[in-house]
Amino acid sequence: MTAYIIRRLLLLPLILFGITLIIFGMMQLLGPDRLLAAYVDPDTFNKLTDEELEALKEKYGLNDPMIERYTKWLNGVLHGDMGWSVVGKMPVKDALLQRIPYTAELALYAVFPVVGIGIWLGMIAAVHRDKFIDHAIRIFAVIGWSFPDFVFGLFVLMVFYSWLGWLPPGNLSLWAEDVVKSPSFHHITHLLTVDALLNGRIDVFWDALRHLIGPITTISWLWWAYLLRITRSSMLEVLNKEYIRTARAKGLDRRVVINKHARRNAMIPVTTVGGAMVINLFAGTVIVEVIFNRTGLGRFTASAATQLDYAAIMGSALFYSTILVLGNLIIDVLYAVIDPRIRLG
Amino acid sequence: MIDVENREPILRVKDLKTYFYTEDGVVKAVDGVSFELYPGETLGIVGESGSGKSVTSLSIMRLLDERGRIVSGEIIFKGKDLLKLSEGEMRKIRGNEIAMIFQEPMVALNPVYTIGDQIMEAIILHQGVDEKKAREMAIDLLRKVGIPEPEKRVDQYPHQLSGGMRQRAMIAMALSCRPSILIADEPTTALDVTIQAQILDLMKELQNEYGMALIMITHDMGVIAEVADRVAVMYAGHLVEYGEVHEIFKRPRHPYTYGLLSSIPRLDVEQEKLKSIPGTVPDPLNFPTGCRFHPRCEFAEERCKVEEPEMVEVLPNHYSRCFFWKKLEDLEVK
Repeated sequence: MTAYIIRRLLLLPLILFGITLIIFGMMQLLGPDRLLAAYVDPDTFNKLTDEELEALKEKYGLNDPMIERYTKWLNGVLHGDMGWSVVGKMPVKDALLQRIPYTAELALYAVFPVVGIGIWLGMIAAVHRDKFIDHAIRIFAVIGWSFPDFVFGLFVLMVFYSWLGWLPPGNLSLWAEDVVKSPSFHHITHLLTVDALLNGRIDVFWDALRHLIGPITTISWLWWAYLLRITRSSMLEVLNKEYIRTARAKGLDRRVVINKHARRNAMIPVTTVGGAMVINLFAGTVIVEVIFNRTGLGRFTASAATQLDYAAIMGSALFYSTILVLGNLIIDVLYAVIDPRIRLG
Repeated sequence: MIDVENREPILRVKDLKTYFYTEDGVVKAVDGVSFELYPGETLGIVGESGSGKSVTSLSIMRLLDERGRIVSGEIIFKGKDLLKLSEGEMRKIRGNEIAMIFQEPMVALNPVYTIGDQIMEAIILHQGVDEKKAREMAIDLLRKVGIPEPEKRVDQYPHQLSGGMRQRAMIAMALSCRPSILIADEPTTALDVTIQAQILDLMKELQNEYGMALIMITHDMGVIAEVADRVAVMYAGHLVEYGEVHEIFKRPRHPYTYGLLSSIPRLDVEQEKLKSIPGTVPDPLNFPTGCRFHPRCEFAEERCKVEEPEMVEVLPNHYSRCFFWKKLEDLEVK
């Protein structure tokens, strides 16, 4: 298995090369004029003469052939320089590093409840098939299933912020932000909730958490619904298998039969889907960060895309692709761990 | 041969009725079945698929799925009615005193746990030994059922074993707690013919060694002839004939048994063409009135369509559910 993991990791640079080349190429289709728009603010842009425009294009190298420009970008990345982000008004690398913890915190908080609760509810529904609890869980799932996350997010904002005032948007309240920015606050993990606890500031922790609950619920609900349905159907299928009857024929307790013999088998398809879901969760953070007005990689990527900040787009693409490839690798390994019939090679 | 007169049965099934409540209606899978099992003997239960033979065995183990319900009857095991036991008490019997092996070793073993793990589970549960001891016992069992290199096989997964090996592992698992009854539900059906004979031999050998009673469920009269002491023939949820195996093979007194026996190819008698029983097993939602076999019976008369025959003792310890069993007296099985 180690050999397999190493082989897959060696492939990573190749995959990233392909992805960035494609995205870079697609952006070139916009033409040098549109790309230039990112560098100049709109008011001055309209007043520029053709000669001045040409000069600017030359200055930013926008007239160079695509391969030459890609090579230049790649060379920069290899030397730790990802270019200048117009949207972030700072080097792309710094902009990314600054925002990744915010999004990572959101994603981490979303992943564990999603996976845990989704699988747990799915198991309960399957074991109590057609009983009241099964119907209740499935209604809960249908609600998640039928709302797109942007609608659900707005709904959460309306009820829990606008009406009840419980869950405010943003990352932190102003007072808490002052605390976090003060020199006495140590940034150890860069995850706000964890750092707040490490600094002994329960009030900041609670404030950060209050800001996280809405976004987490919004991201999670759809995936809960999805994971729950897959777990339920997979579990129902497994419970009808003959080896479950064999296990019961041995005199095993129902709980052992379900938790040992059925669950591990039921987890095989769930792992495939669940893993892909967790990766997709990062996509969910884009919408949620925009709706809840949170600082983070998702919102940064969204603004970069709308303002054609191509260096920032390339940087985000590089980050998300890496997550995607590593995530898929983890799923494949997990898959082999759960099912002895799978052999990686 | 078992002396039926003077022995106490270890298991007595009395008027067992197991119904399945489906959306389309009530399926009377087992509808009033009675038989006895004596210590150390082999009872063959034979019938076509859908005759209720597997449901009978699952009823004894109380392993029916949620739609199946035992609506009446008694299953007396060592003086206790299994149907009156709590689920907890029943669990102490399953795998410990009554064990079961299933048709397809392919799907009856859990694919994600090793063979050893699955054998040890029952040992640890019922015998209260530690894991190390259980593992030694599992290896001994694997050796006993004829699996080569048991020390290695014990750590292998089911998919790493051949079909015959898997069925041997199933047998090892079932025998791990030295049960007094082993129920084998078509244990050889999914196997190659050469392997079938080996598995049957192994089961007979282990039965003698452990002194356990065996219920062999099969659709194959050849298997019955090979292993059974007595045989119960099932058709559409009923027992239709019941008695000693030699007696029934020589003097079948129910047209269905007669048909089953005539459809076995024989080498010792000239046969032009194999006989078969016309028609198929009736729809369990909609059994025929009167005798359930009458639409397929070559001896059926008007009476069979309206009146349901009872089990009658046609010869000593030989029962048949047919009004016209005497007609078969003159026929010799061809």
